[in-house]
Amino acid sequence: MTQYAIVTDVNRCVGCLACSVACKAVNDVPVGSFWNKVLRIGPNAPIGGAGDPSSYLYFLTVQCQHCADPECVKVCPTEASHIAADGTVQIDKSKCIGCQFCAMACPYNVRYLNEEEGVVEKCTLCEQKIAQGELPQCVSQCGGMARFFGDLDQGLEGFEGAENGGERIKLGEFALPFDESDVHHLPNVGNNPSFAYILRGHEWMGGE
Amino acid sequence: MELQWPLIIFTTLVAWSAGVFGTQGALASGGHACRSQMPLLAISVALLAVSGIAVFFHLEHWERIFNGFGHLSSGITQEFIVIVVFAVVAVAYFVFLRRSGDGTVPRWMGWLAVAISTVLVVVCAHSYVMAARPAWNSVLEVLSLVGAALLMGPATCGVVMALRKDAGAGAREDGVADVADGLAAADAAAGFGASDGEASLRASHGAVGSEVVARSSHGARAFGRIAVIGATVGALCVLSFAVFLQMSGGSFVDVGYHFDPVRPTQAMVDPAAVVAIQAPLLWAGGVVVGAFVPLALCWLAVRKGTIGLWKACGSTAVLCALVGAVCLRVAFYNLGLSVFMFY
Repeated sequence: MTQYAIVTDVNRCVGCLACSVACKAVNDVPVGSFWNKVLRIGPNAPIGGAGDPSSYLYFLTVQCQHCADPECVKVCPTEASHIAADGTVQIDKSKCIGCQFCAMACPYNVRYLNEEEGVVEKCTLCEQKIAQGELPQCVSQCGGMARFFGDLDQGLEGFEGAENGGERIKLGEFALPFDESDVHHLPNVGNNPSFAYILRGHEWMGGE
Repeated sequence: MELQWPLIIFTTLVAWSAGVFGTQGALASGGHACRSQMPLLAISVALLAVSGIAVFFHLEHWERIFNGFGHLSSGITQEFIVIVVFAVVAVAYFVFLRRSGDGTVPRWMGWLAVAISTVLVVVCAHSYVMAARPAWNSVLEVLSLVGAALLMGPATCGVVMALRKDAGAGAREDGVADVADGLAAADAAAGFGASDGEASLRASHGAVGSEVVARSSHGARAFGRIAVIGATVGALCVLSFAVFLQMSGGSFVDVGYHFDPVRPTQAMVDPAAVVAIQAPLLWAGGVVVGAFVPLALCWLAVRKGTIGLWKACGSTAVLCALVGAVCLRVAFYNLGLSVFMFY
């Protein structure tokens, strides 16, 4: 079994939006739509200016979480949305009838209707790249070297990122130490999201 | 989420169609509303056909529905299967009506119509029960569509029965109509036994007329029960879902202050405000106009029991229930936010 996913070291993310821009460039995402977004969460404590150490914010990269039990796949009438052999959730556009029930069933609202093609789209985890051993574009272009790609079944330590867009780095060697309590997910309503977020020293807002 | 008008029309008309078919089935199982059975079946099938056309406008590539269509865990597939079964039952119902020639069907056929109508509404509504959208994720959502069927179906039957001067809708005037029919039947019967004399003819008139009046009165009571109980249960279903929708504001994930850099001028998401904005549509449109006005009108028409009142009150009740069902579905979509709504 393989379950490809992305882990984001939230403490490293600088909110540069390079992942969003890189994704749009590589995957030809229509203007106004996104496969990948960066949200600013916070400030989460009373703002006391630069002298108030209790206030903090972090950047949250959101995209399809390539869930282990994806509702989008269950509700698709034609099996256009399906789980690929590598554990990622993909859409066979030739089967999609554009009913958008998958978009309704997604807890993260990351699917949208491509008006031009009349089919639903979302992050593919750059399947065209990972099939050739490359990293997803949002990982290889990450300005903060905060994103790492790998197989969940092999453990988070072995997830790989890109240093300065080139050299491969491993999460376990490159990132600061973390423990299980630092690993978070977007809210799980039975879909079991595969993507994980590492946030140390701050409260994770909204979810697990 | 955005309003999906084809789906709003589809679900509303499916509820109406199933409500009509289920009510006529319930009446048929007791041998009532014989004159109205065929028109009611035609109305039910026509509503289903229009709903089917409406839903095609929702699909971007409807020509692909047979290209792998059949994933059984999908609500759309389940709806499709149940609609086909519903259509088969409707055809069988039609065949029985044509065969009998007097507007009756076997008792089991009537109950089968009730059962398939209930299943159709439940399955169509269940497609929207999703954990991803807290405002939809309740059995009350299913009951709300059942409620719409119970509000629109019996009222529609009442109007058609009144127009057809059928037993049930307006016992008084209908009784008169049926007495006339009964007398005609008695005349015919008397024709066969003319040798029995005038006294026998009078007795025949009286007996058949009384029987028909009694049957008419029985039909009126049966339909009255269906109409009032249906509208009451329907109104309670709609009310309970409205309460659930109103309380859904607290079901969403809260991340505190947040900002979306690609929409820099957009305000933070505030579920409580979204729910508050929908309140007038939900309560005035969905509940008062859509549930309690039809309930009051049905109750009034049943209590007074006249054809004229059923025509006026019944048709107004149908219209109100229809408008209310659409209002409720519009509020349903407007409140159908993702559990994580910040994307």
